[in-house]
Amino acid sequence: MSVTQPDTTLPLGSIAVAQPSWLRRALRGLRTFVRRSPMSAFWACIAAAIIFMAIAAPALAPNNPVRADFRHMTKPPSELHWFGTDQIGRDTLSRVIYGSRASLTVAAGAVLLGTTLGAIWGLACGYFGGRFDIFSQRIIEFLQSFPDLILAMAIAMALGAGMGTVIVAIAVTRIPFGGRVIRAVVQSLKELSYVEAARGLGASHMRMMARHILPQCIAPYLILATTHLGVAIIIEAALGFLGVGIPPPTPTWGNMLADSLNAGLVPPWWLVLFPGVAITLTVLAFNLLGDGIRDALDPRLRGAV
Amino acid sequence: MYSYIVRRIAFGAVTVVGVSIVVFFVLRVLPGDPLVAIFGPEGFTKLSPEQRASYMAQLGLSDPLVVQYLRWIGDILSGSLGHSFFRSESVAEMIARRGPLTAEIAALSVVLSWLVGIPVAIISALRPNSIGDNVSRFLSILFLAIPGFWLAMLIVLVLLFGLGYRAPLANVAFFTDPLANLQIVVGPAIVLGLGQAAYIARMARSSLLEVVREDYVRTARAKGLNNRLVIAFHALPNALLPVITLSGILLGFVLAGSIPVERAFGTPGLGYAMYTAVSERDVFVMQNLVFLYSIVFVLLNITVDLASAWLDPRIRYR
Repeated sequence: MSVTQPDTTLPLGSIAVAQPSWLRRALRGLRTFVRRSPMSAFWACIAAAIIFMAIAAPALAPNNPVRADFRHMTKPPSELHWFGTDQIGRDTLSRVIYGSRASLTVAAGAVLLGTTLGAIWGLACGYFGGRFDIFSQRIIEFLQSFPDLILAMAIAMALGAGMGTVIVAIAVTRIPFGGRVIRAVVQSLKELSYVEAARGLGASHMRMMARHILPQCIAPYLILATTHLGVAIIIEAALGFLGVGIPPPTPTWGNMLADSLNAGLVPPWWLVLFPGVAITLTVLAFNLLGDGIRDALDPRLRGAV
Repeated sequence: MYSYIVRRIAFGAVTVVGVSIVVFFVLRVLPGDPLVAIFGPEGFTKLSPEQRASYMAQLGLSDPLVVQYLRWIGDILSGSLGHSFFRSESVAEMIARRGPLTAEIAALSVVLSWLVGIPVAIISALRPNSIGDNVSRFLSILFLAIPGFWLAMLIVLVLLFGLGYRAPLANVAFFTDPLANLQIVVGPAIVLGLGQAAYIARMARSSLLEVVREDYVRTARAKGLNNRLVIAFHALPNALLPVITLSGILLGFVLAGSIPVERAFGTPGLGYAMYTAVSERDVFVMQNLVFLYSIVFVLLNITVDLASAWLDPRIRYR
């Protein structure tokens, strides 16, 4: 998170240090973050571990997550299969590890896509105002008139199953948030004197937006993106559970839980417990990390985003 | 106040029309060919051109989109809502049969969320940063992260293994058999209620902490009033305003949340019907249910706005 800006806002004490490099500045920022909010730092580590798990899934998973093993069907946790096996003998631990890939890819993709589109839209609305703004606000209101899970379900069903469609479906539900927040930020920025000065000097619309308004939107954008990761993960899991997420055999936490209901009259406890714990831990980590980032970047936004 | 009400309702009407266009666009225009949505890509390729044409004509899908849209609106206004592609029951009948159960779940969950959330918030706010505060804050953060449908599955499992109990699966109206009805409703209501309670506790805590600093609270204390009375009669009523707004908005999200939760419990409510419609790719049922849910959502938002304007005169004059 190194926003390269001229060093005009450094506190007095650090002027003695000869021109710190961006790396050193980032490290110092990190140190302050850890000291100020050790809890967030702890959960940041958990989040980092989960991201690592997703990247290194092939190395970490003890078994192939999609290979059926008909000698070990629906077996409870044992030394061979720590988290047990499902009804066609696939190793639950490996599936949980691989499930993090789907979950994180969808959440990150959806939040980046949705928040970015919303932010650009909000930037345009806030900057130009007028009829375009009024019209856009109506459309955003229409989008916000759906509970987000229902809109995501409808879009995912209409477009057909697949990772891309799930990302798009969740991204659409994130657009209004980005739009509203960034629009409000831009509207308040527009009144500031340095922006007016730039306008007075004859800066073009593009230059105004890119040089003077956009940099101020970075912090709210990052905060929005991180705080919505958790919601995106839960929606992805719910879509998978309802059968409109990423289709099997790709393991996701949501479709693992859905599968466990098909395993017989009574779902085996290990097929229910572990994917759910994975969802909860991941959402918890990203939510608390998001709170920490929000407090570090802009304490005024507490409760606003 | 009246001009505010009229304005709010007029905006609501515009929103409902806009929402119907969004629903139609998403479910009927986006898939390209509606038959692809109904039969799935593989099933669609197996159909012969004559079959496709006959299905299209039978379902009224060969008309221009505008005509289809207007016919759908006509269906809604006449109250029939069309038929499921797979079942004989009309969508209106299905809503009438299953809707009450989901409404009951939603209402009960709101009551539960207040019963749990407000006391927790009071405990937290009275002694900020005490053990009780930290425990309840952690619990609310935890319940924000637990997916409701997973909690539902866990509850079903624990009841089944611990007590050998399973809630009845048949849909029973409250007035024919209250006990059986409650057994169906309580599980989903608890799960959804706890999820909302987490939000409510968080909001009520921060709102109470702000209100406690106000002058009138200090005055009430200064005149020697018992601390409990100060909290109960001076601080709490003022702190609850944002909580009421939040609770109304949450109720809308509960309707969506009840879809996976009803699926996990096997509750025969409207949420389960939505799940069935999605898994059968029943575009027509889905279209009507999504529209119904969003109308309820819009109505809830209007009610919340009007209620907070009524409770807080400052909002009306903005």
